[in-house]
Amino acid sequence: MSEILNRITSLRWQQFVIILMMATVLAGTEGCKSTGKLSKKERKAQIENAKKQLQPIIAGATTLTYDEQKRIVDEIMNKNYGDQELDEMIIEAQKKLKSVLAAEEKMNAQKADIAKASLYDLLLNKDNKSADELQRELDKIRAQNIKSADNDELMARLEKKIQEMRTSGGADLPVKSQLENAFNTIANAASAGNLSQADATIQKTLQYFSSDDVPVLIIISREGSMVDYDKPTNIKRYLNLLKDTKTNKNAIDAIMTDTNGKIKGLDLIKK
Amino acid sequence: MRKLLSLVILVSLFAMSDRVAAQDNLSPKRKQAVDSLALEKVRDLSKYISIIGDKKTPWSDAQRVIERAVELFMENSEIGVSSLGRQDVNYYKVREYFDRLMQLNYDRVTIDWYKIQYVSDLVRQPDGTYVGVITIYQRFQAYDKEKGLVYEDTTKKDITVYVKRKETQIGGRLIGFWDVMLGDIRVKETSK
Repeated sequence: MSEILNRITSLRWQQFVIILMMATVLAGTEGCKSTGKLSKKERKAQIENAKKQLQPIIAGATTLTYDEQKRIVDEIMNKNYGDQELDEMIIEAQKKLKSVLAAEEKMNAQKADIAKASLYDLLLNKDNKSADELQRELDKIRAQNIKSADNDELMARLEKKIQEMRTSGGADLPVKSQLENAFNTIANAASAGNLSQADATIQKTLQYFSSDDVPVLIIISREGSMVDYDKPTNIKRYLNLLKDTKTNKNAIDAIMTDTNGKIKGLDLIKK
Repeated sequence: MRKLLSLVILVSLFAMSDRVAAQDNLSPKRKQAVDSLALEKVRDLSKYISIIGDKKTPWSDAQRVIERAVELFMENSEIGVSSLGRQDVNYYKVREYFDRLMQLNYDRVTIDWYKIQYVSDLVRQPDGTYVGVITIYQRFQAYDKEKGLVYEDTTKKDITVYVKRKETQIGGRLIGFWDVMLGDIRVKETSK
């Protein structure tokens, strides 16, 4: 033992440095071997793993999104393993991804169409929904996060309509109730001799309609499919009739609105 | 093929005749609705006459109401005007009657119609028009600013009413409506 220690201590420092450098070089070459080049065994394992990842994609048995599937296929392809079987699987997976993309696009288009139809209905407000009810329906559609320029525009229009409903007085009342209130106000004001109030209400009420000539139909009798009407009139004449006769004898049966939310047709029925 | 064609024609004819019958033979409910509609038009006319005769009615409003009133009548219809001071009855075309009514030389005029009812029910004519007569009582009062009530009378008048079912297209819908037209208004009696 003392002999070994003597030998070590007898080494010159230059010799020690040379030995240390050789050891470093040897260690360095060994490190490169493990990171830069794969051993056959490692490469085979990675190819098998890649195949395992591709199999569910090709079979359409994955729950991953299109974007996630595409990222996996691209990563495998970029590693360029040069394995024939794997290359064939990559081609198969790419084909599958194309069909997945087409199906996703089709489904999104269908969702967009359904949302578009719903938005049109809400803009027309056939069911006389209040501003709050319309807002809830709009929020539901917005939560679906469907990408469509058309729908974005329709949603903006619906938002505007809701705002207008809130600021136009009567706020959350459905259009039907607002109209019925207006009809009663005109008749009652005229009956009380307050013609200026009747005229002001007529002018305000006309703003709900797309024009003064909007047709007004009055149902006098309905028996099964046989419907009898009074002679058709228009909204301006009808509102003046309420003022002149000082009575409101009809109830609202149906309201038809255009895409701007204005009333384009009104059906009344004898009370 | 011929049999099929005959069958189609037969079914079509049956459907058409059914539809025509539905319009010709009005159910009591539909007939009542038509009766009420005609009465309502006469009541509307009474309101119009009251507005036109009212001196407080702005000229533009009176003109608008005259237009609506004229539209209630058949062309060339006449309205009778009587007076306690004379035996004969003067008849005027409807527009002329309303113009004269608007320009009556009193400070205030009130005209009320009451007891508006059928004296002759609507009866279907061969051409499909329903014709009836509605009677009304008219209370006319005229005032002077200083003398107060200067003239009043009550006149019983008969109005001939014509009602016909027509069809029109509105917004792509085929609408079957009842067109009520008023004919002459005849003076039956005038009393104080």
